[in-house]
Amino acid sequence: MFEKIRNFSIIAHVDHGKSTLADRILELTGAMTDRDKREQTLDTLELERERGITIKATPVRLAYKADDGQEYALNLIDTPGHVDFNYEVSKSLAACEGVLLLVDASQGVEAQTIVNAYLAIDSNLEIIPVINKIDLPAADPEGAARELEEVIGIPADGAIFASAKSGIGVHEILEAIVKRIPPPSGKSSEPLKALIFDTVFDAYQGVIPFVRVLEGSIKRGDKVKMWNTGKVVEVDKVGIFRPALEVSEVLEAGEVGFFTAAIKDIHDAQVGDTVTGFARPTAEPFPGFKPAQPVVFSGLYPTDTAEYPKLREALEKLQLNDAALTFEPETSEALGFGFRCGFLGLLHAEVVQERLEREFDMDLIATAPSVIYKINLTDGSTYFLQNPSGLPTMDRVTTIEEPYIKLSIILPEEYVGNTMQLLVEKRGVMKDMQYIGKRVELHYEVPFGEVLYDFHDRLKSLSRGYASMDYEQIGYREGDLVKVGILVNGDIVDALAIICHKDKADPLGRKIVEKMAEVIPRQMFAVPIQAAIGGKIIARATVKAYRKDVLAKCYGGDISRKKKLLNKQKKGKARMKNIGTVEVPQEAFLAVLSSSE
Amino acid sequence: MLERRAGLVEAYLRELENDAKVLAEQYGGTELTTLYVGGGTPSFLRDHELVSLAGIIRTHFGWANLEATLEVNPGTVNTARAKLWRELGFTRASVGVQSTQDSVLKFLGRTHDAKQALLALETLLAAGFQVSSDAITAVPGQNVEQDLRTLGALGLEHISCYTLTIEEGTAFFRTGVKVRAEDEERSLELAESVLAEFGLARYEVSNHAKPGFESKHNIAYWQNRFYYGLGAGAAGHYPNLETETRDLSLEHQIIAHRRTNPHLSNWLTGERGEIEPVTRESFVTDALFSGLRLLSGVSLTDISTRAGLNASDFFAPQFEKLVSQGLLEFEGSTVRATTNGLWVLNQVISEFL
Repeated sequence: MFEKIRNFSIIAHVDHGKSTLADRILELTGAMTDRDKREQTLDTLELERERGITIKATPVRLAYKADDGQEYALNLIDTPGHVDFNYEVSKSLAACEGVLLLVDASQGVEAQTIVNAYLAIDSNLEIIPVINKIDLPAADPEGAARELEEVIGIPADGAIFASAKSGIGVHEILEAIVKRIPPPSGKSSEPLKALIFDTVFDAYQGVIPFVRVLEGSIKRGDKVKMWNTGKVVEVDKVGIFRPALEVSEVLEAGEVGFFTAAIKDIHDAQVGDTVTGFARPTAEPFPGFKPAQPVVFSGLYPTDTAEYPKLREALEKLQLNDAALTFEPETSEALGFGFRCGFLGLLHAEVVQERLEREFDMDLIATAPSVIYKINLTDGSTYFLQNPSGLPTMDRVTTIEEPYIKLSIILPEEYVGNTMQLLVEKRGVMKDMQYIGKRVELHYEVPFGEVLYDFHDRLKSLSRGYASMDYEQIGYREGDLVKVGILVNGDIVDALAIICHKDKADPLGRKIVEKMAEVIPRQMFAVPIQAAIGGKIIARATVKAYRKDVLAKCYGGDISRKKKLLNKQKKGKARMKNIGTVEVPQEAFLAVLSSSE
Repeated sequence: MLERRAGLVEAYLRELENDAKVLAEQYGGTELTTLYVGGGTPSFLRDHELVSLAGIIRTHFGWANLEATLEVNPGTVNTARAKLWRELGFTRASVGVQSTQDSVLKFLGRTHDAKQALLALETLLAAGFQVSSDAITAVPGQNVEQDLRTLGALGLEHISCYTLTIEEGTAFFRTGVKVRAEDEERSLELAESVLAEFGLARYEVSNHAKPGFESKHNIAYWQNRFYYGLGAGAAGHYPNLETETRDLSLEHQIIAHRRTNPHLSNWLTGERGEIEPVTRESFVTDALFSGLRLLSGVSLTDISTRAGLNASDFFAPQFEKLVSQGLLEFEGSTVRATTNGLWVLNQVISEFL
C-alpha cells in the first residue's frame, strides 16, 4: 500500500500562488473546495485563523486516479507562510517525501523561495519546481526556471510551467507528484516512530497531535510516549484528514493522520517531538526537536488595571493552541500589573495582541519588543534578560551579549547601494553577495535587535517593495551595549527602557523623545520627555501645553452631536495610560519602532 | 452645491407649511421673540419664494418681535433685494464672508471673492440691517489680523470668528490639511483684542458684538431655551407636554425633547427625525454645555428652576474641582468660565458629561 501514498507539501514565497494551486489540486481530485474545507475544519476543531496568515497547517488526504490507471492517496501538508514559523515549516516538510516549489513567473526567485528550498533540501525531499502564473503579461517562465537552477541548483528542465488560476499545468503537476515523489519507506512491523508536525487544541478532545508515522503503526488503545517531553498517554482515536477529521482503525507507517489521547497541556505534545510505543520504543527519535522557543519579548498591560485577571485568562486561552506563546507576570512602576510575553517574532507578537484586543475585547498597552540579552556579571554569573528595564547598573556588568541572525535579502541591483548603507547603519557584516540575473542576493550577519525596529519598513521603502528578506538565529555575540532610559515629566518610565549599541544611543534617544512628543497629546501643562544613559540626559523634547481646547461652533442643532463628540474624546482618554499626571497613548510606547525616515 | 431642480422649492415650501402647522398646533400660543432663517443659503430662494416663506412664519407663528435674522451669501446681495428683505421684516443679516482675502477664500472653496463680500456688507448696512459677518481664522497662510481689521473697520455690529475645524469625512480631512495649534491660539487672541479696538466685545467663545447687538436668537440656544426647528435638517427643542407616568428618580424624569429633522430627501416625504428625550439631568448638562460658552456665564438659579433639579447640588463635586483648578468661578449663583477655563472649555464641559 506504500506505493500508493504520496506525502507532499507546497512551498512558496508569499503571494506566489500557493493557496490557489492548493485549491486547484483539491478541485481536480474531487475533494471539497478550500472554502468548505475551512468551514468544516473550523466546525470540527474550533480552529482559529487569522487574516490570511496561515499559522496552523491543515493537512488533507486526496484520492487521485493517475494516468497509469491506479488510484493514489495524496497527503497535502500545508505549511505556515512566515519566517517567524520556520521551525514549524521544517517539521511539516519532514512529514513529506517531496515538495512543489512554487515560483511566480513574473517575480522569480525570492528570499523565502530560497529559504524554503533549502529546508526541503535539508530534509532530503524530492523537489518539483513549478513556475506559476505563466499567463501573466510580465511572465518570464524560462527566466524564473533559470534562476532556480543558478541560485539553488535545481535543474531547469524539470520545471513545470503552470497557471494555477486558469488550471494550466495542474494535471502535469499531479502526475509529477505520483511519478517523481517517492512513496514513503518504513515498516509497520517496526516499533512506533511518528513525528508530530502540528497540533491543534479542541475543547472536548484536548490537544490533537498531527503526525506522520515513520515506522510502526498506531491505533486506539495503544500506550504511547512523547520522546522528548516524556508524557505517556493512551490513544483514544486515530484518523485521517478529509480534511475534516475522520476516525479510522489504524495509522500505518507512511501515513499522515492525527490521534487523540485526552492531552490537556499543549506543552506535553509539541511540534517536532517523536511519538513512540511505551512498551516497545524506537531506537532513536526523529532528530532536531526544539521546544517552542520565543525570541522576542514584550510587556502587555491592560490599560485598566482592574482587567489584569481578564488578561491572564485570555492569555491562558490563547496558549492552549499556541505552544510558542509564553507569559509571566511582570510589574511596571509606570504601567502597573501586566505580563512579559514571549513570541516567535514580531508577526507572532502582532497576531497575539490583535487577538487579545479583538477576541477578548482587551484594551492593551504593549511595550516595545525586545530580544533576549545575555548578561555576564562581575561575580562570574550569567543570565538572560528579557526586559531591558531589568538591566543592573553597569558596575555589576562585565559584558552584554546580543543575539545575531543570518539575514538574506534578495533585491534588484539598483537598490543594493542604499540597502548596504542601511545594513551598515544596522551594524550588519556582509558575508556574501551573489548575482541572480539582474538581482542580487545579500547575506549579512546582523544583531537581531537591530532588525526588530524599523528595518523591515525601511528596506521595503528604499527598494520600493521589491526586496524580500529572511533570517535565521545564529547565536550570541558580545556588543558595546547600553541601556537608554526614558523620562516623562522628570520620572523614569521603566516600561520605556531600551538596550542599544553605544554609538546609536544618541540618535535613537532623540528619535524616541521626538516621536513621543509628537504622539502624546498636548496636556494642561508642558511635559519634558528625556532620554538618558544612567544619570546623563542625551536627548530632550517637549510636549507643549495646550491652550486651546474648545469647540469653535455650537448652536441649537449642534448640541446633541457635539455632546457625543466630546463623550467620544473622553472615552479615548480613558484608553490612555496615566503616567503621573500625563496621559500617554499606546503609540508613545512604540516610539522606538517608528521609522526615522 | 444645491441645484434648482424643477418643483423642488415648491415642494420644500409646501412641506415647510406642513411642519409649521403641526408645530404651531402642538406648541403655539406664545409670541415669537426671535427668528433665524439660515442653515445654508436661504438667499438662494427667488424673491417671491422668500416672500412665501416669510408668509408661512407670519401665518402660523406671527413675526418675531425682537430680532429676525436672515443668513445670506455675499454673492446674492443687491440693493433691491436688501430692501425687500427689510420690508419682509428681517432686521438682521448674517453674512458668510469667511475672509476678505481671495487666497483664503479660494483655499476654503468659496464661490465669492473679497470684493463681492465687502460690497454685500456695505449694501446691507446701507439698507438698515444690523449686520453680522462670519470669519474663518487659523487658515494656513491667512493674515488673520488683516481680515479682522478689514471687517472691524466696516462698522459691523457683530462678528463671529471661527477657527478652522477639520472634521472627519470632509475633503480637508481626506487631504490631510492640519490646523496648527499655534495658529488657533493666535487667532483667538487676535479676535478678542483686534475687534475690541472697533468696539466689538467678545461675549461668547467665537462671537463678538457691540453692546446691545449680541445675537438674541443664539443666546436663546446657549441658555438652553425652547425653540422650534423647521425645515430639512433643522433641530428643535420642545417642552415635554405629556405628564410623566413612569416611576423614575427625579433626575431621570423627562421634561423636554430635542428633534432633528432628517436630510432633504427624507424630510420632503414627511419624515421627521427621532425624538431625543431630555431628562432633568441632561437639561442641566445641556444648559452648562452651551451656557458656559457665554462670558456672562450660567445662572444656576434659572436653570435649576427650569430643570426642576438643583444644579448646584447635583454637580457640587464637579464645580468644586473646576473652581479649585481655576477653570470656573462663581459670582452669587452665576457660574462662569475663567479666562483659562474658556481656553479649555472642552475639558471643563467633559466633567459634566
